[in-house]
Amino acid sequence: MPAVQLTAVSKSYRRRGRPPQKALDNLDLLVESGGVHGFLGPNGSGKTTTIRVLLGLVSADPGGGEIRLLDQPVPDGLPDVIGSVGALVETPLFFPGLSGRLNLQLLAEAAGVSKARVEECLELVDLSGRADDRFKGYSLGMKQRLGIAAALLKAPRLLILDEPSNGLDPAGIRDVRELIRRLGRDGHTTVLLSSHLLAEIQQVCDSVSILARGRCVASGPVGEVLASRGSGDVLVQIADPAAAAAVLQGAGFSVSPADGALMVHSVAAPSDITRVLAGSGLYLEELRRVTPDLESAFLAITGDQPHDGPAAPGIPA
Amino acid sequence: MSAVVEQPGAPVAQPTVHRASFGSLLRSEAHRFRSRRFIQLLLVLAVVGWVVSTVIGLLNYGTPDDGDLADAQARLDEIVAEQQVFYEECLEDANVPDDTTPEEWCGPAPTADNFGGPEAFLDKAPFDFGEAGTSGALGVAALAAALAVAIGATWIGAEWSSRTIVALLFWVPRRLQVMAAKLTVLVAAAALFGVLTQAAWLATAGIWEALVGGPDALPENFWSALLQTQGRGVLLVVLAAVLAFGLTNVVRNTGAALGIAFVYTAIVENILRALRPHWEPWLLTSNALGLVQQGGYTITYWNDGPIGPDGNPPEYYLGPLQAGVYLGLVAVVLAAVGAVLFAKRDLH
Ligand SMILES: Nc1ncnc2c1ncn2[C@@H]1O[C@H](COP(=O)(O)OP(=O)(O)O)[C@@H](O)[C@H]1O
Ligand SMILES: [Mg+2]
Repeated sequence: MPAVQLTAVSKSYRRRGRPPQKALDNLDLLVESGGVHGFLGPNGSGKTTTIRVLLGLVSADPGGGEIRLLDQPVPDGLPDVIGSVGALVETPLFFPGLSGRLNLQLLAEAAGVSKARVEECLELVDLSGRADDRFKGYSLGMKQRLGIAAALLKAPRLLILDEPSNGLDPAGIRDVRELIRRLGRDGHTTVLLSSHLLAEIQQVCDSVSILARGRCVASGPVGEVLASRGSGDVLVQIADPAAAAAVLQGAGFSVSPADGALMVHSVAAPSDITRVLAGSGLYLEELRRVTPDLESAFLAITGDQPHDGPAAPGIPA
Repeated sequence: MSAVVEQPGAPVAQPTVHRASFGSLLRSEAHRFRSRRFIQLLLVLAVVGWVVSTVIGLLNYGTPDDGDLADAQARLDEIVAEQQVFYEECLEDANVPDDTTPEEWCGPAPTADNFGGPEAFLDKAPFDFGEAGTSGALGVAALAAALAVAIGATWIGAEWSSRTIVALLFWVPRRLQVMAAKLTVLVAAAALFGVLTQAAWLATAGIWEALVGGPDALPENFWSALLQTQGRGVLLVVLAAVLAFGLTNVVRNTGAALGIAFVYTAIVENILRALRPHWEPWLLTSNALGLVQQGGYTITYWNDGPIGPDGNPPEYYLGPLQAGVYLGLVAVVLAAVGAVLFAKRDLH
C-alpha cells in the first residue's frame, strides 16, 4: 500500500490584486510504505504546499487530481487516517506562554495519547530537562525539536517532516537525521522528509522524489536518481598535467585544467584514463571520481542555476 | 540530542491508532483554557477588583448609631428652620399677585420630608440591599461582560497568532468540530464566570448588609426580581464572550478585534445616538441594557418625532426578550461566519 499517492494535483494560491501563484502543476507523487522517502526541491518548488494538500490544510485546485494518504482519499478520509500520521510543517506551532510539556500534553489529551508517551517523546528529542520552560523561551532548535516530538506523539505510521533541520545546530542535525534513519528502519514508520538540502536527503533517504516548479521531475532510489545525473567528471593528479592533457585529448577525452590537476569530463570508465596515460609512459598520482556531483546533478535536474547564498563547492559564484 | 543515540530502542512502535473523540477534544480545550496566562490574569484582576470594591463599600456605608442619627436630625431641623424663615418672608411679602392667596403663591410649608428625612443627612448611609440589589446585579453583569469580551477575544485570537489552531488540525481534521469545541468551552466558561460574578455580588451585598446594612426589610418579590436580573446578566456575559469570539475569529487578530469593539462602543454608537436616534434599538449596548435591566429599557426620542397625544415625546420599549433575541442573533451570525471561513479557507 502506498503511503502517499498524488495524481495530477494542481494548486494555485489566490493572491489579492495579482494573478494566482501556481505552486503545484499536475504533480504526480508516489511514496511507498516503509523506509525514508526524501522530498527534495529548491525553495519555492512546492514541497510545503504538497504537504499542506496532503493534510487537508489547503485544498487542491478542483478537477481531475486525486490525493490519497495511507490509502484514504483526502480530505474526506482524513479523520480515519490522521491518527496514524504525524507531521511537522514548516515551523512548529505552539502556545508561546505555555511550557513545552503542557503544549504536548494538550495535543495528547485531544487524541487520547498517554502522558507517558509525552515524556517518552520529550526524552527522544532531549528536551526533558527543559520541558517546563515556556515555549517562547526556547531556541530555534529547541522549538524545532519540540515540533518533532509532537509529530512523534502518535507513534505514527507516516511521519511527515518538512525541513526538520531548520534552525538546528550541527549536533542537532546529526541527531535528527539519526532518529529519522532509525524510524525508517523500524518496520512500522514511513518517513516523508522534505528538504532543500541534498546532503541530508543523500544521508538519510532510501528513495527520493525531486520537485521543481511544482512538478515531480525525478523519482526513485536515491543512488539511482542522483548517480544517473552525475557529471562523470574525474579529477587526475599527475606530475606533468600539460603532457597528460595532450595525451588524453588525443584519445578523445574532454579535459580542462583544475588547479594544478586535470578535470576529465564525461568519463564512462576511469580505468580508460589509467590505461591511456600508462600507455604514454605517464603515471598517475591520484585519480578521483567527482561523481556523483550532487549539487550540479540536483541543479541540472531541477533546471535551476545556483543563485544567491552559498554556491555549491567548486562552482565559482 | 544525545538521548537519541543513547536510547536506540526508544521509539517503540505502538500499533494503536489514536483517534480524537469530541469528548477528549473538549477536555483538552478546557485544560488549555485553564492554562492560558492571560485568562488567569483577568480572573486574578476580577478577584482583586471584587475584594477592593467590597472594602470600599464597607468604608462608605455605615450603620448609624443614635449619635449619628441625632446629628443628622439636628442638621435637618436646622435646614427646615432656615427654610421656614424664607417661607414666612414669602407669605408676608406684599408682591403677591392679586388673583392668588399668599399660601398658593408660596406653596406648602417646608417639612422634613422635603429634604429626604434624616437619612439624607447621615455621613454614612446604611446599605440598602432592597434598593440596590438589582441595579448592583446590572452593574456587575456589565463589568463581567466587558471581561468576557476580553476573554472571548483572546481565547481564539491567541490561537490565530500562534497558529496552534492549525496544528490542532493535524490531530482533529474536522475543522467545524475544532471550532465547536472551542466555542463550547468558551460558552461554559463564560456562563460559569457570569454565575460566579453574580454570586460574588450576593456575597458582597451579604457582607454589606450584615456589617453596614440598614433596618429596612426587603420589598416584596425582591428575590425573584433579583434572581431574574442575575440570570439575564449571566446570559449577557455569555453573549458578550461569543460576540467577541466571533468577531476575533473573523478578523483573526485579538488586537484588531478589541480595537473594533472599542471604536464601536466608544465612538460609533455615540455618533449614531446623536445623529440617528431611531437606530438606538439596534445598538448593542442599548440591547445589553434592555436585556439585563429590570423592566427593560425605554428609549425616549427627545429631539425628534411628533409629540404624542399625551404631550410626551415618543418612546420605544426595548424589552429583555427582544434584546436577548437580537444579541443572540448577532452573536450566532458572527460566530457562524468565522466558523464557515475557518472551514472553507486554505490554512497556511
Ligand atoms: N500562502 C501563499 N500564498 C501565495 N503563494 C504561496 C503561498 N504559499 C506558498 N506560495 C507559493 O507557492 C510556491 C511553493 O511554495 P512552497 O510550497 O512553500 O515551496 P517549498 O516548501 O518547496 O519551499 C512558491 O512560489 C510560493 O511563493
Ligand atoms: Mg517549505
